[in-house]
Amino acid sequence: MFEDLVKTTAYKKGMPHQRFTFVPHPVWGKPASVHREYIEGKDPITGKPVMQEIIEALTKPLTDEEKKTGFLERTEPRIVGPDTPENLQQLFLKNGWTDGLPIVLPTEKKVAEMLKKTSHRPDKLVGKMRPSPPHEAWEYTVEKVAINAVMAGAKPEYFPVILAIASTGITSLFSSTTSFARMVVVNGPICDQIGMNSGMGAMGPFNHANATIGRAWTLISRNLSGGGTLGETYLGSQGNNLSYNNVCFAENEARNPWKPFHIQKGFKPEQSVVSIFTGWGITHSFGSAKKEFHQQISSLLGSFCPYSSGTSVAGALVLVDPLVAKDLKEVEGFDTKEKLSEWLYKNTLMTVEDYWNSGLVSTFTLPQAQLGVEPFASWLKLPKDALIPRFLSPKEINIIVVGGETNAFWQAGDFRYIGSASVDAWK
Amino acid sequence: MRKRMSWLLMWMFLLASLLFVGALQAEEAKITVLNPRGQTPSIPLVPMAPRLDTLNDKTIYLVDVRFEGGKSFLLEMKDWFAKNMPKVKTVFREKAGPYMDDDPKLWAEIKEKGDAMIMAIGH
Repeated sequence: MFEDLVKTTAYKKGMPHQRFTFVPHPVWGKPASVHREYIEGKDPITGKPVMQEIIEALTKPLTDEEKKTGFLERTEPRIVGPDTPENLQQLFLKNGWTDGLPIVLPTEKKVAEMLKKTSHRPDKLVGKMRPSPPHEAWEYTVEKVAINAVMAGAKPEYFPVILAIASTGITSLFSSTTSFARMVVVNGPICDQIGMNSGMGAMGPFNHANATIGRAWTLISRNLSGGGTLGETYLGSQGNNLSYNNVCFAENEARNPWKPFHIQKGFKPEQSVVSIFTGWGITHSFGSAKKEFHQQISSLLGSFCPYSSGTSVAGALVLVDPLVAKDLKEVEGFDTKEKLSEWLYKNTLMTVEDYWNSGLVSTFTLPQAQLGVEPFASWLKLPKDALIPRFLSPKEINIIVVGGETNAFWQAGDFRYIGSASVDAWK
Repeated sequence: MRKRMSWLLMWMFLLASLLFVGALQAEEAKITVLNPRGQTPSIPLVPMAPRLDTLNDKTIYLVDVRFEGGKSFLLEMKDWFAKNMPKVKTVFREKAGPYMDDDPKLWAEIKEKGDAMIMAIGH
């Protein structure tokens, strides 16, 4: 199952002939007796006995190829074709350069039109992106981002927003077997200038800017970091339908009774900003009619999985319609988003026993606790029934206002805020 | 007869013209586009470590990167060596930190005290 991933990773690390032995999958969750059978059995790929293969890997003299030094060079031609538009569509599809849907072919003329909407030179470096930490990072220029923006069907006036997303270097197709999703929320004057939707149906397929900006991020993630190749640079077992346009929408600032999200993160109202989130899914619980909105939200967030990996932690993103936001502020007394986050943080506690039995915690957090990293090291010493926070801090719980006030509806996802980037810097 | 020949020649000329224009149009319909792929970095080749003549009387580190199931798997492998190749000394170690973290202290220990390493990645 992981043969392509293992071999291409070794290739990209400079050891294309690294010696591997495979055993059946999965190893996880199997008793020691099954592991013993794997060891005494055969490599499912080569058919050789596992231990014989391992011993040979350690003792068989190196070949000339395995001793080689120097560099492996890979180049891509700038121009594709000439060919008919139909054949080029097929070529892009066959090469894995699309999201499976038809694209706008990136002719020099269309790309030049896109490039007119930024003051930056086509050869300016925008960023580096990798499908996930073990993979190599690729660099890309303004022109390469423009090519992918054209393919997504974006209008040239959306280009600064797409460049801002690309400048974060964050892939929307993060390679994990757990099928991550990414989200991009846009704030500031650019939203109205390019006609983004923050109201009715903002998170659905009803707005050209929302749809194509989000789609452009997926194409950028495939083509500018080498991501999205199944079995090599994308391993999500089920995939994630949100990855088609990465939940791209604008916050409803006009109907938001609180500070807009970008101002919470230190930007000014007149600045235009993209903010990136990562998670797995969005869900809803109507909860009890007798409960107020903040209580309903805490009930749902109280089911989210905790974890801390050292580089990331569990987060939550609450997406509230303006009607819910108004009620939370005027009836339920949360006059800032921060106060609501604080209350949710304190009211989604869990027992120490449940925490350490959580799947991601045992993989990511327990090794940190054993190294003495706080607060996890101290939590290991607590009694099983002690209560500890599900989220590491209130800052990991964010609130966004979106929707058209046709229903006092809210949703929440296990999405963590990763960072923001200026759109204005790319005009 | 001469009239029939003239008609035939005219039809042949018309057909050839149509074929020529069609071919020209097909040629004109071809376009070039820009390549959407980013620049792939060059890869410095890393020569692999020299191999051992034999594993007998050697110390082999069995390292678990701490992905699920790796520890149990390697402890079974340690047991296999003890039973089937008793002259091989095996040392089991769990890499420090989560699976994505580096562990330079362990690599230094293996360089100093070990002869080879088998790393298992569970899942």
